[in-house]
Amino acid sequence: MNRGGLPEMLHCLHAAASEGADISVLDRQRSRHKWQQDQLLIQQHHQQNQPLPYFSDNSDQLGGVFMSLNGDHGGLHELLLGGAMKPDPGLENGWGGDLVGGLNYASELEKNYAIQRTVSCPPDVAAAKIAAQEAALSSAAGRESSKKRKADKTQTLKVIAEEKTEEKKMKECFEEDSKITEQNSNNNNKSSTITTATNSKDNNNNSKEFPKTDYIHVRARRGQATDSHSLAERVRREKISERMKYLQDLVPGCDKITGKAGMLDEIINYVQSLQRQVEFLSMKLAVINPRLDFDVENYHTKQNFTGCSSSVPTIGTPSEMMDQSLLQFNSLGQEVSGSILEMLVNPMDVSLRRTISAPVSVPHPFLDSSSLNQQIQHVTWEDEFQNIYNME
Amino acid sequence: MKSRMPENRSESMKQEFLKKWIKGLQIYSKNSNKMTILDRKNAIKQSADVAIASTRNAETQWSRAVMARIASKNETVVEKILGRKVLLVDKNKSRSIITCSKKIVRRSIVNAHRKKARVVRSISSVVEDGSIIAKKMVKKRTRVLKRLVPGGEQMDEVSLIKETLDYIASLQVQVDVMRNIAAAAEILGRTERLSF
Repeated sequence: MNRGGLPEMLHCLHAAASEGADISVLDRQRSRHKWQQDQLLIQQHHQQNQPLPYFSDNSDQLGGVFMSLNGDHGGLHELLLGGAMKPDPGLENGWGGDLVGGLNYASELEKNYAIQRTVSCPPDVAAAKIAAQEAALSSAAGRESSKKRKADKTQTLKVIAEEKTEEKKMKECFEEDSKITEQNSNNNNKSSTITTATNSKDNNNNSKEFPKTDYIHVRARRGQATDSHSLAERVRREKISERMKYLQDLVPGCDKITGKAGMLDEIINYVQSLQRQVEFLSMKLAVINPRLDFDVENYHTKQNFTGCSSSVPTIGTPSEMMDQSLLQFNSLGQEVSGSILEMLVNPMDVSLRRTISAPVSVPHPFLDSSSLNQQIQHVTWEDEFQNIYNME
Repeated sequence: MKSRMPENRSESMKQEFLKKWIKGLQIYSKNSNKMTILDRKNAIKQSADVAIASTRNAETQWSRAVMARIASKNETVVEKILGRKVLLVDKNKSRSIITCSKKIVRRSIVNAHRKKARVVRSISSVVEDGSIIAKKMVKKRTRVLKRLVPGGEQMDEVSLIKETLDYIASLQVQVDVMRNIAAAAEILGRTERLSF
């Protein structure tokens, strides 16, 4: 009967709990009292209806009271569990505080029950009322100090610990009682111990859940900050690495190097070599050209010849033209080819037109400084350059 | 040379650079009747630098820094030449470049002094701290790179790498064209000598 009633009540309370977090503790208590009174009535009725030996009857009643208490306890924990299971909105509405109140209330109730058990009389309404008031107060305080949720949570943890100790005490009491009471009540006690065990488990779950939710919440907060920061940092690093990749493509001999320092080394070397090449080439040009307007004259003649450049009998496509010019450039060191002979006739125009109109893309060996040096060695120009330099 | 840059872009850049360079040379030659070989070399280099910088239309920091540096190096006369030259090169954007360049010159000079002082301090502190080697190495190299890339002292790391990318591409174009011109001039010189 009691066992039948327990899940019923649990269900009822659970439903009430799951109905919403807005149900005040008082309401819950009222419903519980109602149920308890009903239960007692039913019990009495049952006793009257079922003629049992007095001894066993009494024990049954006792057990029933116990059971009701335990059931109540379980229901409360169910409630708490339901409240705790409620996701974020509950937490945000100061459920933590409410829960604190609830837990305080639970401990209060347990104290009351201890008294009740010793007296073995129907629940003391006044004490319950006081407890309810306290709970309401504490819950209000919890709501007020929702900002100090952390402190509250530590409080709740303490409360839970207290509750656990009280539960242990209760268990001991139950055991003592079970020694006194008969088998029937013994069974009840067993079930009650089981329920308390489950309750304690629930409590553990609760206590586990608290830091968990707290952790997630805090992480969300901190995470937002760190997340945006780390995101920005990541974006920056990605940008750098992406550009470093491009640089790796651009700088020859940088493909095989891993590591930023090595790549930077290569880049530095390459930039330096390019800058030196510019220096060197400008020096070279300065040496070669006795006057600065040397190129300019050519440029002018080239401009005059722009109309003719299309009609120049070179091979049609610019790429082929380019190739030809490259051939010329490559073969200069060794011998004067036919095309250069052609250039001799009309030297500057052709060469410059080639360099300008067929924008020069030189093959790789040509760009290498080593090949350049080789080329220079071929040419008598270097000696001349040195002579001039010594003269200066 | 593997051309990583899109062909069209690099070729158009080369043409632009060559045009501007030759115009710059023209102006230099007009202003200087008698030049030593070093003067000529400087003139060629500066005109080439300005030309390659002006191909970027002052979009990049390094090109602006190059313009400013060259304007600051050679005093008012060269500045005038540059101004004229820039006007010749690009009528629309030249004025902004010139007006910018004067400001930048002052700024860059001041900043360069400041940054130098800072760099010296930071080097000493880093050495004293003796933090992680890899980071130190990267920092050191970044500093060197900042010195190499014109106007790099004022850049942060991200923009430094971006500018370096652009600068290297431009330098490649510059070196390419100059080398070809030099080769052509060489041939011509040789042929002239031969013909003599």
